[in-house]
Amino acid sequence: MTAAAPARPRRPLRPATLASYAVGVVLVVLTVVPLLYVVIGGFRTTAQINESPTALPHPWVWSNYRAIVTSSLFWRFVGNSALIAVVATTLAVTLGAMAAFALSRYAFKGREAVYLLFTVGLLFPLGVASLPLYLELRQLGWLENPFAVALPEAAFSLPLTIVILRPFMRAVPAELEDAAVVDGTSRLGFFVRILLPLSGPALATVAVLAFVTSWNTYLLPLLVFSDTQHFTLPLGVANFQTQYSQDTARILAFTALSMVPALAFFVFAERRIVGGLSGSVKG
Amino acid sequence: MNLRRRPALAASTLLAAALLALTACSSSGGSSAKKGGPVTLTWWHNATTDPGKSAWQRIADAYHSAHPKVSFKVQPIQNEQFTTKVPVALQGDNPPDVYQQWGGGALATQVESGKLMDLTSATQGWIGQLGPGAKGWQAGGKQYGVPYDYHIVGFWYRKDLFQQAGITGAPATIDDLKADVAKLKAAHIAPVAIGSKDRWPDAFWWEYFVLRECPQATVTKSLAAKSLDDACFTKAGEDLKDFLATKPFQNGFLGTPAQQGAGSSAGLVANGKAAMELQGDWEMAVMPALATDKNFADKLGWFPFPSVPGGGGDQQAGLGGGDGFSCTTKATDACPDFLKYVASASVQRQLVQAKAATLPANPAANDAISDPTLKVVLAYLQKVGYNQLYFDQALPTSNGQALNEAVANFFAGQGSPKAVADSVKQGGS
Amino acid sequence: MVETTPLVLRKAVPTGPAVGTAPPPVTRPRRRPATRRRLELLLLLAPALTLFVGFVLAPIAVAVYYSVYRWNGFGPLDDVVGFANYRQALSDPVFQHAIEHNLVIALLSLVVQLPISIGVALLLNRRMHGRAVLRLVVFAPYVVSEAVTAVLWLLILQPGGFVDEVLRDVGLGHFVHLWLADSDLVLYTMFAVVTWKYIGFGIILLLAGLQGIPAELREAALLDGATGWQATRFVTIPLLGPTIRIWIFLSMIGSLQLFDIVWIMTSGGPANASTTMATYLVDRGFRRYEFGYGSAVAVILFAICFVFALLYQRFALRRDTDGALTRGLA
Repeated sequence: MTAAAPARPRRPLRPATLASYAVGVVLVVLTVVPLLYVVIGGFRTTAQINESPTALPHPWVWSNYRAIVTSSLFWRFVGNSALIAVVATTLAVTLGAMAAFALSRYAFKGREAVYLLFTVGLLFPLGVASLPLYLELRQLGWLENPFAVALPEAAFSLPLTIVILRPFMRAVPAELEDAAVVDGTSRLGFFVRILLPLSGPALATVAVLAFVTSWNTYLLPLLVFSDTQHFTLPLGVANFQTQYSQDTARILAFTALSMVPALAFFVFAERRIVGGLSGSVKG
Repeated sequence: MNLRRRPALAASTLLAAALLALTACSSSGGSSAKKGGPVTLTWWHNATTDPGKSAWQRIADAYHSAHPKVSFKVQPIQNEQFTTKVPVALQGDNPPDVYQQWGGGALATQVESGKLMDLTSATQGWIGQLGPGAKGWQAGGKQYGVPYDYHIVGFWYRKDLFQQAGITGAPATIDDLKADVAKLKAAHIAPVAIGSKDRWPDAFWWEYFVLRECPQATVTKSLAAKSLDDACFTKAGEDLKDFLATKPFQNGFLGTPAQQGAGSSAGLVANGKAAMELQGDWEMAVMPALATDKNFADKLGWFPFPSVPGGGGDQQAGLGGGDGFSCTTKATDACPDFLKYVASASVQRQLVQAKAATLPANPAANDAISDPTLKVVLAYLQKVGYNQLYFDQALPTSNGQALNEAVANFFAGQGSPKAVADSVKQGGS
Repeated sequence: MVETTPLVLRKAVPTGPAVGTAPPPVTRPRRRPATRRRLELLLLLAPALTLFVGFVLAPIAVAVYYSVYRWNGFGPLDDVVGFANYRQALSDPVFQHAIEHNLVIALLSLVVQLPISIGVALLLNRRMHGRAVLRLVVFAPYVVSEAVTAVLWLLILQPGGFVDEVLRDVGLGHFVHLWLADSDLVLYTMFAVVTWKYIGFGIILLLAGLQGIPAELREAALLDGATGWQATRFVTIPLLGPTIRIWIFLSMIGSLQLFDIVWIMTSGGPANASTTMATYLVDRGFRRYEFGYGSAVAVILFAICFVFALLYQRFALRRDTDGALTRGLA
């Protein structure tokens, strides 16, 4: 053994490596097959599906997907979801970052109490708050209004955002901040010009989580929107399922297309989520 | 000192409170349409599939051509979602102008919202044409809705499957029905389809047993009092229990929906996977979309709920109701006028021909019924002793839903016959 | 430092050459009035707090208010019943069973999902081909919405549907059950669907934690003669502690939150065999037009969540945040 490079001890891990691959395969199968069923099912007709649920399309039918992709209602759902998700995410990340900054780099009495207040909010599921939240929104006269959905979603995303961002922001060395102050920047200036860019991965993480959460929310839009035109995509999926219930193939096509935006967004941001999470669990 | 040290917290809380207080006072008043100005009526009905969907659209378009100032925004909503959406909408500032209404105690509950339009004077001149059934859409003696069709619940069955099992005629008594169930099982055919997941189909069974055991006066009185204490109600539960013991339903019935998908109870009968279902006449409108065999209608027959020997009730009583529409107060005069249009003989005929309605509310349109099975149903409806409104409609919503849930649990083997009868008392209002 | 009227003092602080004499370079702005800091704090915290108080905490207040009434949503609020709603809910066997169901799901998550997740994360932490793709695939169900998940599994689990067909095709036909219609089985079916959706997220979370553990620690243990399993048990897993505690925290949220999937698939049925606290709330509160009662149930739920959060923060998470508290603070 040469002394030049420290060699890793060779571990007798063959069985475990095999096990890893086996587990990997099982995971992929269990995860992917139901999703594939949906996607492929969209290429069949309902009669085909009733005949033999597990077979492949024969022939491949494009009309289901075509009908949905050309339906303005589907794109309306996508648009509504996108608008609400963008507003909710922007609010959650901006306000959350500001609050996390205050909670991580300022010392003030009651700081931990405020932090606790936010983390306790983590455990109040939006679903549970739906009834009183609905009553509150009704009181405010905000039913049928997309902001009635975006604002509560942002509010409910705040706890997780702050919980993830605070350790990140705390980990930035105090020296950096002192140096900035010496250069004449205010604390807020430090926040905007130095800390935020440094927190890139964490910000991306919370943005992705907030976006996905908002995109997938079902109950609140269900209560707020009666007009189909205002529906978000999950509502559209459930509604479509009941409306076209006899047309299983078309439902599968609709469901498959509904997964695409979320999955695409995730693929785009996947690396950042893991990176962001590993930073936050450390501290 | 503490407050001073935590201005952020204090100030933020004050801000939040102020914000809420300010906005709580504001209410977005819906714009009230001016009399005579152009009007768009938002219309909620439950025909999410054809033939109903297109039929209603045609009617809306026809009315619009005749009255150019009135346009429609039609929104078909799945039947099961109405119970959630309507109360939510009636509490908001923007309820639909016209929406599907099944009458009874549920209507009375909705009237409390103050949003329903009193149609008494607007309909005075013509509502009599629709027969005594229209009273089902009254609350406190005032008309709050107009029916467009009537319903009665009975057995839809597959003549071909009955033949296969060696059954020659429709069962006249409940014991005949049990015998038929046994024959079907011997022939490996699911005897009865039921959509237990939705709960209300289960209620039909219990309510029919009640009608066979309890005299009409008892039923009417008890429903009004929201208290089903008479022993006959418990007896009805016991009859039901005996019938359930024969295990007459399809595999996995507890999870089967009533009308959604080919696997629904309606779909099962339409596709010949089950021999019969106790359902309303709307089955004829629901089944076409679910059937793979386009000629299924020729194979269908209908018979009324059998009699219960020794039962104290009217053995000829029917369970049913109807569909109608209500107007909300922001809908202007266009709405009652539209409902008059829908109740007119010609439009009623259109609905029947399009199969959007099976038994029209206006008897003048009865001649439009062509399907022989439906003619049987109509004949029965016309000679029936009395047609009791389904209990979950006759009772206020809360009590009605409690009853449905208790019956559904009973079907799953939970609860006693007495508990089912007592469940109505659970309701809040 | 004596505080005077905030704004006036702020304006008076010299900020640069305008004063005439160059101020000495200040490394720590000890002389900067606390008022400016307070203003900054206000600016930073107020928006988030307002939103939070307005839409997360206010609903609790609203719920408490309505919970002492009997109200069907229409007409005026005039029927005060005090604590009757609470008593009714807590003594309702259906609600008690709903709580049970939530707890069963929570417990199953701990006992079934956690060990599997840790095991899988450990195995996936090795260098292997396609690890990146695997991470992607495993996380995918988390991203798909609950509504889509519910619709998807509803279709697949129909009697004679896809799952049944597959089981029959691979010779496991005797495993076929009424996944959604059997009252004894339906809750576990719900758990299976929930696992499908969320286990990926948990695995990724644990993987992230594992990546934060220096490999040298494990190697050192191995060099000292520990077996692979011993190294894992005594080195890796304890170091994974903080991550596991966060996993548990989030998993409890999921179990208490359970609504969408159950609502769409079974509405809590059959015969309330799969009711959760949230479905009970919507069923009784909305469907039955009993908004006072529904509000009381919501308040009970909040109380349960709150107590759990407090206890968990205090006992489980305290350790992890203690060290952090003393690190570089401003």
